[in-house]
Amino acid sequence: MTTIIDDLKKNKILGLLKNEKRIDSRGFLEPRSMTIDIDVIQKANGSARIELGNTSVIAGVKIQPDKPFPDLGDKGIFICTAEILPLAHPDIEPGPPGEDVIELARVVDRGIRETSMLDLSKLVLEKNKSVIGIFVDNSITNCDGNLFDACSYASTAAILSSNLPTWKLENEQPVLVEDQESIIPITTIPVSVTMGILNDYIVVDPNADEWECMDARITMITNSDGNICALQKGGSGSVTYDQLKECSQIAISIGPKIRKILKQYQIDN
Amino acid sequence: MKTDMQLLNNDGIRCDGRKIDELRKITIKAGILKNANGSAYIEFGNNKILVGVFGPRDVHPKHLSDTNTGILRCRYHMSPFSVTERKNPAPSRREIEISKVIKEALQPSVILKKFPRTVVDVFVEVLQADGGSRCAALNAASIALADAGIPMKDMVSACAAGKIADTIVLDVNNEEDQAGQADMPVGYMPNLDKITLLQLDGILTTQEYEKCIDVAIQGCKIVYEIQKKALIDKFFKCDIK
Amino acid sequence: MENDKRVYVTPGDVITTGPYRADQNVICQNNKIISTVVGISEIYDNNVKVIPLSGIYMPKVNDLIIGKVISHISLSWELDINSCYSGFLPAHDVFGRDFSAHSDELSSRLNIGDLVTAKIANFDKNRDPLITIADRDLGKINSGELVEISPSKVPRLIGKRGTMIQTIESATHASIIIGQNGWLIVSCKNQKLLSKTIDAIKMIETQSHVADLTDKVKSKLESDVGE
Repeated sequence: MTTIIDDLKKNKILGLLKNEKRIDSRGFLEPRSMTIDIDVIQKANGSARIELGNTSVIAGVKIQPDKPFPDLGDKGIFICTAEILPLAHPDIEPGPPGEDVIELARVVDRGIRETSMLDLSKLVLEKNKSVIGIFVDNSITNCDGNLFDACSYASTAAILSSNLPTWKLENEQPVLVEDQESIIPITTIPVSVTMGILNDYIVVDPNADEWECMDARITMITNSDGNICALQKGGSGSVTYDQLKECSQIAISIGPKIRKILKQYQIDN
Repeated sequence: MKTDMQLLNNDGIRCDGRKIDELRKITIKAGILKNANGSAYIEFGNNKILVGVFGPRDVHPKHLSDTNTGILRCRYHMSPFSVTERKNPAPSRREIEISKVIKEALQPSVILKKFPRTVVDVFVEVLQADGGSRCAALNAASIALADAGIPMKDMVSACAAGKIADTIVLDVNNEEDQAGQADMPVGYMPNLDKITLLQLDGILTTQEYEKCIDVAIQGCKIVYEIQKKALIDKFFKCDIK
Repeated sequence: MENDKRVYVTPGDVITTGPYRADQNVICQNNKIISTVVGISEIYDNNVKVIPLSGIYMPKVNDLIIGKVISHISLSWELDINSCYSGFLPAHDVFGRDFSAHSDELSSRLNIGDLVTAKIANFDKNRDPLITIADRDLGKINSGELVEISPSKVPRLIGKRGTMIQTIESATHASIIIGQNGWLIVSCKNQKLLSKTIDAIKMIETQSHVADLTDKVKSKLESDVGE
């Protein structure tokens, strides 16, 4: 997706940065305001609709028995996907996902996987034969920049608010036990913080206009202990060591604020 | 064999509590997507569907363009979490067929002669599917087209009728579709009194067939009033303070 | 309502029946005049028309528009003109008749992302609209801010004999270039006045169907300025 931003706006964005201002009058380290609604899709085991500024995403969690991956017979399955719906932006064409969307889905997936948010070892029905799969699918319904954090928060809120159905094995086949739900084994809550680098200024949660002007971006995912668990640098520009140090401090300082919001949606025992 | 779920009780009440000529609850909002030229969101029973319209705009790939008229394209797609069993995100044969019938149900209503070499894209996303998602999608699509300012001879309203427990009923839900005897989705232009979508799964006698169409058309007329209200709410209800 | 013949309509609505002439955004079928869009119907003399409240911009020769350069090939620039067609601006319009593809570099004059004030020089249904910037007050825009409104609301923004736009300009001292394609360039002395101006423009866009809008905009601007 390449949207051409008009020069007047681009110059305005870059000019404002010099005066420590942003086009939508946020502070450099201030994410856009966020609204989250959970349980918006009753047919899913868990779901969340999030609006991060004007970027909006619906994440749905489906939990169902599956065969384990051959080399991971003692672990449940976790798969995370994303689709930018063609109704989300005029420049999105329907069809198989392009590299940008695949990168997006993999970065969101990595954040949840590498923080070990889900204790997959507790999702085994029979070792090497039958496990529980957790599928998180993100449908992006409106694009206004920073889909990474929006999808990450939507996925996380959807997982935290999911009920885990119970299956038992009968003749080696998983059978759903009606009306017996438990909570998903959660070990930590990942928080993704994406920063844009524009003319050597670092801004948190770039909107679509800033996204078009930035040289590079860094997505950092931290866990509840404040450790960095996953990273992605993107964009055609480069980043200095000092900028990276600054980025990690920003991600670690913003993490707890977002985590507190996401934690509200976690189902208690 | 199917279990004998009672679809219709002796008082003429259906499994979800409706009377035989009663629609499910419908709410529609027009103009909710910021980046689309026109849009609509519909909740039709448990269906939750979002539609975005783009255009008229340049056609890509170019060879599809028609020098005499604008063309209409439609994509009906279901989110993986929209149904009980997770759906593969790649389009299925069912989705491709429904995309085509929705496109052909809208085509008689739109006037695209004025826009040669362009395309109007209608993107339907089913966020949650229940019985009758194609009718619900068609209703939202027609509103999204009107919201985008695409000229139209008439709106298209849609609603199914069907047969359960040997009775013709309006607006078949998912359980009735699974366990019932027939399901007939109908798309209809209320002012021009013309049918633009018609399908049938199931067996009907000639009399039942005629009754079914009649019942569906009555349903479409009710839906039409809800569609109109959605447009009026968007365009004429932003009074000053 | 200021005129009882003005009615809110949606597509398919029968506005009237009888020997009327079908003007804009209506069709005549079996003696019925039917609206094809969401808008406000008007019957005058023997004509029926609907003023639409949404829809894309359809180019008309001599329209003043704002365009954005989105690509250039050897002999022309392609402009986004917020329409169903791209505008095309030939190199000789900028460089003059002795334009040479070898020695003249297009990017020396206009680059991707540049905005221009332009006119539709020619347009028929078989070709993309031909754009010109070779006239007084046309050409590359160097300052101000692009504001987008629905092209169908442009006449309302201008108002009868320009009254609406003058109301705004005199209240905020803004300079506003109005493209018929719904793109505007707004310039103000400072950010505060700019926001005020844009707010007023957006108010007209969302409430264009409301009667006495000029007075309402005027009182809003006055109360804003008074703050």
